[in-house]
Amino acid sequence: MEKDKKIGTALIVGGGIAGMQAALDLADSGIKVYMVEEKPGIGGIMSQLDKTFPTNDCAMCTMAPRLVSVGRHKDIEVISYAEIEEVKRNNGNFKVIVKKKPRYIKEDICTGCGACVNNCPTRRVIQIKESKGIKLDGEYSKVKEIIEKYRRIKGPLMPILHEINRVYYYFPEEVLRYVAQELGYPLTDVLRIATFYNAFSIKPRGKYTINVCMGTACYVRKSEMILDKFSELLKIKPEETTEDRLFTLRSVRCLGCCGLAPAVMIGNEIYGKVKLSDIQTIINKYKEKNE
Amino acid sequence: MNRKLKNINDLKQKRKKLRKSSEDRRIKIMVCTGSGCVAGGAFKLLEIFENEIQKNGLQEKVQVIKTGCNGFCGQGPLVVVHPEGIFYGWLKPEDASIIVKEHLIEGKLLKKFMYTVKETTETIPYASEIPFFKKQTPLVLRNKGKIDPENIEHYIAEDGYSALEKVLLSMSPEEVIDEISKSGLRGRGGAGFPTGLKWKICRTQKKNPKYLIANCDEGDPGAYMDRSIMESDPHSVIEGMIIAAYAIGASRGFVYIRTEYPLALKRINIAISQAREYGLLGENILGSNFSFDIEIREGAGAFVCGEETALINSIEGKIPEPKQRPPYPAEEGLWGCPTVINNVETLANVPVIISKGADWYSKIGTEKSKGTKIFSLVGKINNTGLIEVPMGITLKEIIYDIGGGIPGNKKLKAVQTGGPSGGCIPGDMLNLKIDYENLTQVGSMMGSGGMIVMDEDTCMVDVAKFFIQFTHDESCGKCSICREGSGALLEVLTRITKGEGKEEDIDFLQELGEAIKDASMCGLGKTLPNPVLSTLKYFREEYEAHIKEKKCPARVCKDLIIYYILPEKCVGCTKCLRECPTGAIQGELKYIHIINQDMCSKCGTCFEVCPPKVSAVVKLTGNEINNITHLEKPVAVEAYKEGSK
Repeated sequence: MEKDKKIGTALIVGGGIAGMQAALDLADSGIKVYMVEEKPGIGGIMSQLDKTFPTNDCAMCTMAPRLVSVGRHKDIEVISYAEIEEVKRNNGNFKVIVKKKPRYIKEDICTGCGACVNNCPTRRVIQIKESKGIKLDGEYSKVKEIIEKYRRIKGPLMPILHEINRVYYYFPEEVLRYVAQELGYPLTDVLRIATFYNAFSIKPRGKYTINVCMGTACYVRKSEMILDKFSELLKIKPEETTEDRLFTLRSVRCLGCCGLAPAVMIGNEIYGKVKLSDIQTIINKYKEKNE
Repeated sequence: MNRKLKNINDLKQKRKKLRKSSEDRRIKIMVCTGSGCVAGGAFKLLEIFENEIQKNGLQEKVQVIKTGCNGFCGQGPLVVVHPEGIFYGWLKPEDASIIVKEHLIEGKLLKKFMYTVKETTETIPYASEIPFFKKQTPLVLRNKGKIDPENIEHYIAEDGYSALEKVLLSMSPEEVIDEISKSGLRGRGGAGFPTGLKWKICRTQKKNPKYLIANCDEGDPGAYMDRSIMESDPHSVIEGMIIAAYAIGASRGFVYIRTEYPLALKRINIAISQAREYGLLGENILGSNFSFDIEIREGAGAFVCGEETALINSIEGKIPEPKQRPPYPAEEGLWGCPTVINNVETLANVPVIISKGADWYSKIGTEKSKGTKIFSLVGKINNTGLIEVPMGITLKEIIYDIGGGIPGNKKLKAVQTGGPSGGCIPGDMLNLKIDYENLTQVGSMMGSGGMIVMDEDTCMVDVAKFFIQFTHDESCGKCSICREGSGALLEVLTRITKGEGKEEDIDFLQELGEAIKDASMCGLGKTLPNPVLSTLKYFREEYEAHIKEKKCPARVCKDLIIYYILPEKCVGCTKCLRECPTGAIQGELKYIHIINQDMCSKCGTCFEVCPPKVSAVVKLTGNEINNITHLEKPVAVEAYKEGSK
């Protein structure tokens, strides 16, 4: 009997389909299993797939029973949202230090009902990891100069973002990461500011932004139809950019040219009393400028 | 060349010299280059003027000056020829050569460019006699159309910086504050807080340094006075800022300006660097011990940044959400230091008050609201533009005397003041005297001074929906009642305009509106239900018509109207048929056209192109839709007429 006694435990890194199957096999043969997973929940990549090669089996149908079994198995302990910091070995005995990230929720009480997820006002804020040691060069080398120019003034973020916006028309992800790193600001703050203002965008914008005024005075003079016409001629919807990165179409709050309603601003130029028939000419003007 | 003015005497000498040299050249052509006129081709016009004058060798006698916004934007591009003050509007660039040839050389007055009174077709040559200008009291805009905003010397020649002279020479900061308090000046940004008191609170704070911010984040749709001041007379704002900084004891100031105003941004930049060059900004201004400098910070298109605590957050580079007050910025503002935030218009009032004295100033206006206010008069009105009028003027004077009435002799339905935070004043309150208290009392507010005139073709439910859409988009999301409440208001209003309203909706709007007012933290949330509440108060029957009769009395809400061609009026000209973007109109030449309602997108093109003499296309709503005669297929016009006989 002594010989058959199972001793020790196993630790599985990663709670994907392979990890789950391994955990179940081990646990069923009587070994205590710890499963460490980086993401908040187990399941891995397979949960994102529709069909699997080569049998065309439904991915979810394959993994769902395993998910449930892992969750229920008395010998499997899932440690999710955690990372392995260190592994030490001493004659076949392993000592592993696992860093568990905080969830800010009492895990023993939470029933996973999902109500908080649906009601969280900032749920669309992208959660991204901070990064260190980014170097920008090539295309975005100017960003460095811009940061140096304003670094010393008090409250430098807005002037820096404005100037970057003037040069690149939008904020590429690495540029924002770089700005956060250089100024020592949390990336989430920089990201929120970059997405708060109408003049900024984290999606690529064209060289010329066509701002169709939707202020009260313009609205009553049918600026909506002007917007539709631009949309039709440029084959893009509002908030989109043409493929050649020349135009971005937007509606804007009020250009303060109410005497000229309906008004359109392209770059720094304002067009007043715009008629539907003028729009093609206006677009052509900018296209010619860039040829 | 070193242009620095070392002391007050230098400035006085400079002014004298400038005045003399400007008297030498008698004739001045003032070309308006405000944003409005620039969009109409004012720079091209200016160029031709300069070329023509050069060509004709008149440069010794005639000076062409590009001025800031003249205010009469509805007539732009425009010029005023001095010394007589002849007003020419609606100019095309090529008209410059005609004016040079016929007016300057041959000495004729050109009737075709003059202002024409609509009813009598009488022309008025002098700017000062045009009703639009006649009833105005330009204090803040005293230099509009008179000086080149990009040239500090023009401003100095017009008594510019003389108020600063007076302050530095003979007044202590406390005296300046007293003078401003005595004048009764109140914040022109909308809330109307007494300016003198704000300065005093900041002055008495022990903490240093202190900051001054000029708020030019003018976000209200339909208001553009701040932009206009910046474009036409940026130095008056700078002078006001220097005096304010002297009074509160600040050595650094900021101008927070919208990035959507490129021309204003350019001009304030030029003005600040010129003021530095002349020693009016920087260390030891005009040889006094007082030092002050200004930095420009650009907004980036967020309406909420006009709120002072949000604005401070934005300058600091934080997320521009409002903060709880108190502490007020005057106690604890930018980087935790006492900060005065004044609207641009308020600051531009300061030099006037100092030069002319508080007693003189406080004679203008009503008991509690002193001085003048700039309004942007827009919407369905004949003379659109920027007007400066004394407080206490009636709506009637503004709309009918200055504004020249409503186009097409339509009936005035309402006037919307105060932008998205304001409300609609019904057309029968024409005798209302405009000041802070009266506007608040009728459920609107002064706001930054937008005045949008609405005629009988405006649907009040649609207007309320428009403003709520705006504030819903611009709500920063910090307070849930504002974020979610505006969304709920919008949902209900949208339902009503679609004809799916329920009877209990009106009570719901009222209740929710009042809750948002009570529970929001900043000015945006506290005032956002105003457009709904004021239209509910004065135009309740319109809401009821939408809900009960599925009818839009103003014929605006797309889901409640149909376009219909009156068979007895249609002449079969095919105009609408050719223009219809969806091909919903059936018919041929001399056959009565029919709109296929299933295909119609209700864009209104047919309604607009139908010749006014015919006006066969009509909008129908409510019960009217059920009572029309349906033609199966186009009938010849002749045949139909005979048939109906």
